[in-house]
Amino acid sequence: MTALLDVRDLTVRFALPKPSFFAERPHLEAVRQVSFTLEAGHALGIVGESGSGKTTTAMAAIRLTRAAGGQVLFEGQDLLDLDDEQMRQRRRDVQLIFQDPYSSLNPRARVVDIVREPMDLMEIGTPEERLERVRELFALVGLRPDQLNLFPHQFSGGQRQRISIARALTTNPKLLVCDEPVSALDVAIQAQILNLLAELKEKLGLSYLFISHDLGVVRHVCDDVAVMYLGKIVESGPVQALFEAPQHPYTQALLAAAPSLARRKSKGYVRPLKVSGDPPSPINPPPGCAFADRCPKAQDVCRQTPPVLQPVAGTQAACHFPGPADV
Amino acid sequence: MSALLEIDDLRVTFGTRYGEVTALDSVSLHVDAGETLGVVGESGCGKSITALSVMGLIPQPPGKIAGGSIRLNGEELIGANPARLRGLRGGDVAMIFQEPMTSLNPVFTVGDQIAEAIMLHQNVDKAQALKDAIALLDRVGIPSPDARARDYPHQLSGGMRQRVMIAMAVSCRPKVLIADEPTTALDVTVQAQIFDLLNEIQRDFGAAIVLITHDMGAISEMADRVAVMYAGRVIEEASADDVLDYPQHPYARGLIDCIPALGRDDHRLAEIPGVVPPLHLLGAGCAFAERCAHKQDRCGLEKPLLAAHGHHPVACHGIEEGRI
Ligand SMILES: Nc1ncnc2c1ncn2[C@@H]1O[C@H](COP(=O)(O)OP(=O)(O)OP(=O)(O)O)[C@@H](O)[C@H]1O
Ligand SMILES: Nc1ncnc2c1ncn2[C@@H]1O[C@H](COP(=O)(O)OP(=O)(O)OP(=O)(O)O)[C@@H](O)[C@H]1O
Ligand code: SF4
Ligand SMILES: [Mg+2]
Ligand SMILES: [Mg+2]
Repeated sequence: MTALLDVRDLTVRFALPKPSFFAERPHLEAVRQVSFTLEAGHALGIVGESGSGKTTTAMAAIRLTRAAGGQVLFEGQDLLDLDDEQMRQRRRDVQLIFQDPYSSLNPRARVVDIVREPMDLMEIGTPEERLERVRELFALVGLRPDQLNLFPHQFSGGQRQRISIARALTTNPKLLVCDEPVSALDVAIQAQILNLLAELKEKLGLSYLFISHDLGVVRHVCDDVAVMYLGKIVESGPVQALFEAPQHPYTQALLAAAPSLARRKSKGYVRPLKVSGDPPSPINPPPGCAFADRCPKAQDVCRQTPPVLQPVAGTQAACHFPGPADV
Repeated sequence: MSALLEIDDLRVTFGTRYGEVTALDSVSLHVDAGETLGVVGESGCGKSITALSVMGLIPQPPGKIAGGSIRLNGEELIGANPARLRGLRGGDVAMIFQEPMTSLNPVFTVGDQIAEAIMLHQNVDKAQALKDAIALLDRVGIPSPDARARDYPHQLSGGMRQRVMIAMAVSCRPKVLIADEPTTALDVTVQAQIFDLLNEIQRDFGAAIVLITHDMGAISEMADRVAVMYAGRVIEEASADDVLDYPQHPYARGLIDCIPALGRDDHRLAEIPGVVPPLHLLGAGCAFAERCAHKQDRCGLEKPLLAAHGHHPVACHGIEEGRI
């Protein structure tokens, strides 16, 4: 079967301001030859630290950011080749929700109009049908019909995220890009939204491209996961394999750093694997492995030759010395 | 024996457009030298206001310390004269904030700022203070500290800035270090570095640490004891192991069950229904009652007090009555 989304060698480059009039314009490669596939009905998590290129990857994959190269096959059709009208037709299949639902909801519009807007824009159905659909969506995401005519500020953060989910679902999309959808919410509210997303995936057969810096959340929501570092995928695989037997030193460091209820100060817990420093600058990325400077396993070859993603015990890892964490 | 820092029955109110609201009510906490107290709870539950009260930094008005006591080494801080409080701040008690950029001055180099903090509390000249500042930068793990000392805050990464804040906070070897969500803005690998650093500093100086966080994982790794707050009150307080393994209060139980844990494949997360009520709508009863599966009539009428009923101190009528 063909994947819903098959991304190949996706590259995104941003032009930066010239430092001086005569200087050449510097570029920043935010996404560097990223490839992944997302099966229909699955959720693919993208994890990685701030600036690693998660948002840019997702935006380029649904053509909201211009790609400098690569292919994005959506049901076999390359989105990057579509003309504007063809892309407009495709828009209804891909929707997105963001971290901060408040800034993406028009404060002066009633939520009924906010949720209906995509149908208005795409001229879907009659006005009565649109209103009916909004009522249906309200019920689906757990909002009450008597809340239809309220304004965004009259809702709590979790309810606002429900509103933006309802709005994203109006056009019956196949793919929902979720960019840190619960990061701004308290854990108790976060659980409500995560359960809702899981339920919708089941009920509607939705697929998610799910960005989060919270590994526990990704583990809970996703079937597969890709770990990004400085614009590249350094490891990917099924969640269970990747979380239980990570092969790339960066994935191992990330898992060792993520706070966990299983590690107790009272039991004398000391972090086994430490990485120092910050990720390198994306403007002049190092020639070899981007993690080499911080990696406990790094050898000369790591600093010279970029490792490529290849199958290793249950996952794919881009590392010259992959293998279980030796701690 | 009284603890190094003791907060007793603290009550803080704010004047708002809804009238006077109570942001902290009957808050009692204590922490001893060498110990880390974790303070955890949802946004708005009063964690930062508790910290600011200790620092004497509650904006008055609209805020008001309406009752209670805060004692450091037995010395009462509430109502202490402003000069004395200034002397304690950054001396015996220091605080690290969530966003270091807001507490660092953008137009001075980080070296100058740390040196300034040192000169404020110690009798040393500028040259010595700068030398001490560089040694501190080195101590908190900043590479090439003499070069970095000449940098302005915006030239450093978020993790580096937080290290600078920590260097400044520990420059006078505080007895109590309050860290208010010190890593929320940072990536996990950098957060791990900051946590490890706080632990080392505690071992070196024997400081008491109050770690404010909304992350139970951070509590697990860092805290000896935990206070769980809800709507301005401490609703459960015990050793980290007791709270994490045997949470008693329905809210504390919910809070732990709803975390998607790394090593756990739970199908559906436990949920706490509803949201925290806004302060101006807090009634006479338990603030959690509307969200609680164990609510009975008394819960809506009377505030439960923090007291040991069985396992450890909890503020819940259901626990007190032995029906939860
Ligand atoms: N419009 C832009 N112009 C220039 N650089 C950009 C632009 N958008 C993103 N970048 C850069 O591209 C890189 C990747 O950014 P991106 O936002 O995709 O990261 P991210 O992984 O989503 O991070 P975060 O977790 O902080 O959201 C960063 O170095 C960022 O500074
Ligand atoms: N200046 C103020 N005027 C009115 N109310 C205030 C003021 N400052 C704080 N509050 C209220 O006091 C309560 C406690 O706030 P506090 O900042 O301590 O919460 P917190 O637990 O630190 O939350 P967070 O996790 O979001 O930092 C909140 O309900 C807040 O709205
Ligand atoms: S490629 Fe080399 S430097 Fe990169 S992670 Fe693997 S071992 Fe470390
Ligand atoms: Mg992003
Ligand atoms: Mg706070």
